[in-house]
Amino acid sequence: MSVLGDIWNVCWRELKRFRRQPARIFMSIAQPIIWLALLGNMMQAITPMLGSGIKSYLDYMAPGVVVMTTLFGGVFGGLSIVWDRRLGFLNKMLAAPISRSAIPIGKMIASSLISSLQATLILCAAIVMGVNVATGPLGIVAVILIAMILCLMLSGISLALGAVIKTHETLMVVMNFLTMPLMFTSNALFPKELMPSWLQTIADWNPITHTITPIRTITITGWEWASILPDVAKIAALTLVIMGIATMLFRRSIS
Amino acid sequence: MSASIIKTETLTKIFSGNIKAVDNVSFEVEEEEIYGFLGPNGSGKTTTILMLITLLKPTSGRATVCGFDITKEQAKVRSCIGYVSQDTAVDENLTGRENLLLQGRFYHLPKEVLEKRIDEVLEMVDLTDRANSLVSTYSGGMRKRLDIAEGLIHRPRVLFVDEPTLGLDIQTRLKIWEYIQRLREEAHMTIFLTTHYMDEADKLCDRIGIIDYGQIKVVGEPNELKSQIGGDIITLRFTNETNSYANQALAEIKKLAAIENIVPTKESFSVVAKDGETTVPKIFEVAGKVGATIESISLKRPTLDDVFMAHTGRELREETGSKEDLMRERIRMRRVRM
Repeated sequence: MSVLGDIWNVCWRELKRFRRQPARIFMSIAQPIIWLALLGNMMQAITPMLGSGIKSYLDYMAPGVVVMTTLFGGVFGGLSIVWDRRLGFLNKMLAAPISRSAIPIGKMIASSLISSLQATLILCAAIVMGVNVATGPLGIVAVILIAMILCLMLSGISLALGAVIKTHETLMVVMNFLTMPLMFTSNALFPKELMPSWLQTIADWNPITHTITPIRTITITGWEWASILPDVAKIAALTLVIMGIATMLFRRSIS
Repeated sequence: MSASIIKTETLTKIFSGNIKAVDNVSFEVEEEEIYGFLGPNGSGKTTTILMLITLLKPTSGRATVCGFDITKEQAKVRSCIGYVSQDTAVDENLTGRENLLLQGRFYHLPKEVLEKRIDEVLEMVDLTDRANSLVSTYSGGMRKRLDIAEGLIHRPRVLFVDEPTLGLDIQTRLKIWEYIQRLREEAHMTIFLTTHYMDEADKLCDRIGIIDYGQIKVVGEPNELKSQIGGDIITLRFTNETNSYANQALAEIKKLAAIENIVPTKESFSVVAKDGETTVPKIFEVAGKVGATIESISLKRPTLDDVFMAHTGRELREETGSKEDLMRERIRMRRVRM
């Protein structure tokens, strides 16, 4: 039980800190909204190429932008560990009788909760811009939950790197280096079917594709479980593995 | 369980690159004692603390804190100690009260106890009226006080304090010293601290261990250590023209009854004498007889600086520079923090 308590305490601190930085909340959603407004309109002309049942490029793109937001939000998990290490706060936590694993797990959960808030705001903005969610409010909840799984995965990756890299500048650069290609080799903004075949292969292996596809099914088609569940199961499994690796690397970095 | 609350036996830490940060250190700290490590930066003070609070594994040797082995019973050690690092690791984006709340929860204190404890420690460090302000609005001294309060929240039996007044102004330092002394008296706590300020070690500690290059050179009460120097310290300097008579003069001075020892330092001589005030005129007298003129002379009671000098052959304060020290420090920091 005390492990769960420790995880919650680590998480509580991150959430409190986040609430105190309104600029961070604002900036983290401003960029995706601009993407939606600009790119969403700019690319309207390709709507007919997206396949049947898709009425507007904005409908197609909104899930991609929600996922993009959580993708970038995930970077903070590792950054906050690097900062805690530099400021001595990590040592203070480690000197206390708390579970070692609670520190990375608490941080991953915190960044996932924070990104769920961001994803909700983006989705609301998209709806205001005229995006239609086929499955209604329940669908929105499902979309947010799937986005949260992806954020856990990404903060796991950034934590695992943070356990090895240890300076925030380098970590930031490495994470940017990772997130951008991840984004553009997925079907976030452009249908996989229209990509050259080598890019299609990459997109098939890209976990972002497997996050966006079920979200798109939920917002555009409806509760088509046969196409939602396998992808969600895949990314959930991968997320668990990455969280495990991140926790292990963290534990190794402090011993 | 042994009588000493901290006990180390040949504790050693060697970092990669064969850097001996802590070298065969053995000492014991009694219950309710304020025990200090005095030494320059990079002498192994922080490394010793990090081993005792279970954050670093010793390369060899063993140690117990509160009777628990620091490598085999880490969880038990952590529950009975508090740690105040030299980084003043308080969270700027939380209020003082939230920082304490978080710290108390890390120690699994029940809610009702924690609420009471927070008020208590806030009172103790005079932060009650600022408890609900964000720490980012606190001064350096307030942050340090909050940091110390956090170390006390779970009433540890031993409090480890690394460089308690690093970078603080004089008034704040005096305050912090007062708090630390009050802790021992009111909470019956054992306090292990490190410092490179000799006045801090002198004022605050019941006993100090002088540490240099990872080794303990001597352990004792500050007064006892100072009296071991053997008397007052007279520093004198001859004028350039009469420098040739210096040796003759020194030989005469040495014959005086009160003189214990004469050590040449850069351009001057350091004379240890039992009774400084009455010895100074006698020195003038004998020096004048052989034709040497004294240009300047000073008299002081021995300080821990002199004790440090006597045991390590160098001054505590002059350590700002050597390349080796810097290297050791840098490597240590990289190991510890990164």
